Amino acid sequence: MPVTAGDLSKAMSKRLASYKLTDAVIKRLADRLLVDGLEIMRFDPCIYGICVDYWTRELPKTDLNIKSGITKWEVFPYGILEWDLFHVRVAYEVNELEGKVTPRGF
Amino acid sequence: MGSRAELAPALTDSPRSGFLPDRIIHLHPTRLCNLACVHCYSASGPDQRGALDPAAVNRALEVLRDEGYEAVSLSGGEPLVYRDVGLVVRSAKALGFRVTMITNGLLVNARTAPMLAELDGMAISFDGLAETHDVIRARRGAFDRACAALRRLAGDELPVAAAISVTPSAIPELPDLAYHLAELGAQALQIRPVARAGRAKTMAPSAFGSTADRARLFLVAGALGQELAPDVRVHCDLAPTQGLWRERDAYAALLARCDAGAAPLPLAELVNPLVITEDGRLKPIAYDFDARFDIATVDGLSGERLRRYKDGPLARFRELVGGAVVSLADQQELVDWFDYCTRLSEA
Repeated sequence: MPVTAGDLSKAMSKRLASYKLTDAVIKRLADRLLVDGLEIMRFDPCIYGICVDYWTRELPKTDLNIKSGITKWEVFPYGILEWDLFHVRVAYEVNELEGKVTPRGF
Repeated sequence: MGSRAELAPALTDSPRSGFLPDRIIHLHPTRLCNLACVHCYSASGPDQRGALDPAAVNRALEVLRDEGYEAVSLSGGEPLVYRDVGLVVRSAKALGFRVTMITNGLLVNARTAPMLAELDGMAISFDGLAETHDVIRARRGAFDRACAALRRLAGDELPVAAAISVTPSAIPELPDLAYHLAELGAQALQIRPVARAGRAKTMAPSAFGSTADRARLFLVAGALGQELAPDVRVHCDLAPTQGLWRERDAYAALLARCDAGAAPLPLAELVNPLVITEDGRLKPIAYDFDARFDIATVDGLSGERLRRYKDGPLARFRELVGGAVVSLADQQELVDWFDYCTRLSEA
């Protein structure tokens, strides 16, 4: 039976809780996720490892780059709906969490 | 670097008092308990006999209601072994407080059900799945009885949550525990790492976790919050320091410089949460906050007594909290804010 995005989302907490994900991976992941100025909205497994959706009222810092383990990032400005609010999605490379899920866009 | 000048000294009409949404009193009427948990922050147990006089509690709650507090959370010890718990609940409700209780669940039964139905909410304490929970509670069967209590309260359509204290070794159990508690009817899960307080100080250092353990707990709680929404709310006591720094205006009332002659603020705007211990001491923040910061006693509590506190000793508490808030500016960590402040009080 094909694995769905829902199945993987439900298993996220168990994957993170398991010490099969080493402390080093967890710390690296947390260091990446807790980015100054970005408020975590949700995170999900994705084709790259983990994709995190953030809110921010500041333009994202341009030093979000591959050295931070970032594969891709997207910014969605809400524009006239809310001038100073941005939805930022960052795809982090985490080999231990890679899933066979079609990447989702905005 | 963050500085006190960045703490927005102008007084605002912030609806918050500190990082809590409610202005709350944590009332510990006794340290008597039918368990002796290895991690108990108040070192409660069957050999603790002291208890607060309910009349004195009621008089103090009257004063504190006038000082702006809105909610009373009963714990202990085990509040259901406190002989006068029903009287205190009814008195607090009559004063207009929202009243909740944290219990180990062992005494949730037909006898206590009528009183429990008067509460605005309850939380049952858990430490992990059955084997882990029973070891920490030092009682075989404690987990099954706590689950039965949660199921009963949910079945009676009472708002019930689970308060989960987690050691690093119990983190892998957290998802299964959370889903199980959700199935039993828990409407919310409050997850926190075990604090190094009370009897917990005798636990091995590995019980308190490393930076990576706190990160793991935070991420697991976040994932569970997504997975269990919208039926179950998940709250983790750990928060990113940068997130707390962005919310520092929540402490504007405490940290603002007020004009001389201005009317003093209600205590609830300055000290939140407020703790009342089983021997009648009023303390800020937590049960084990250092005694140098004690506010007053239940006996003889009055508005005048609290005014003298605000005019004098409050300054020491203000200094501690101000320093703690400023220290957030340069940190990229996860902290249990109230435990963080409590450890600073011991310095």
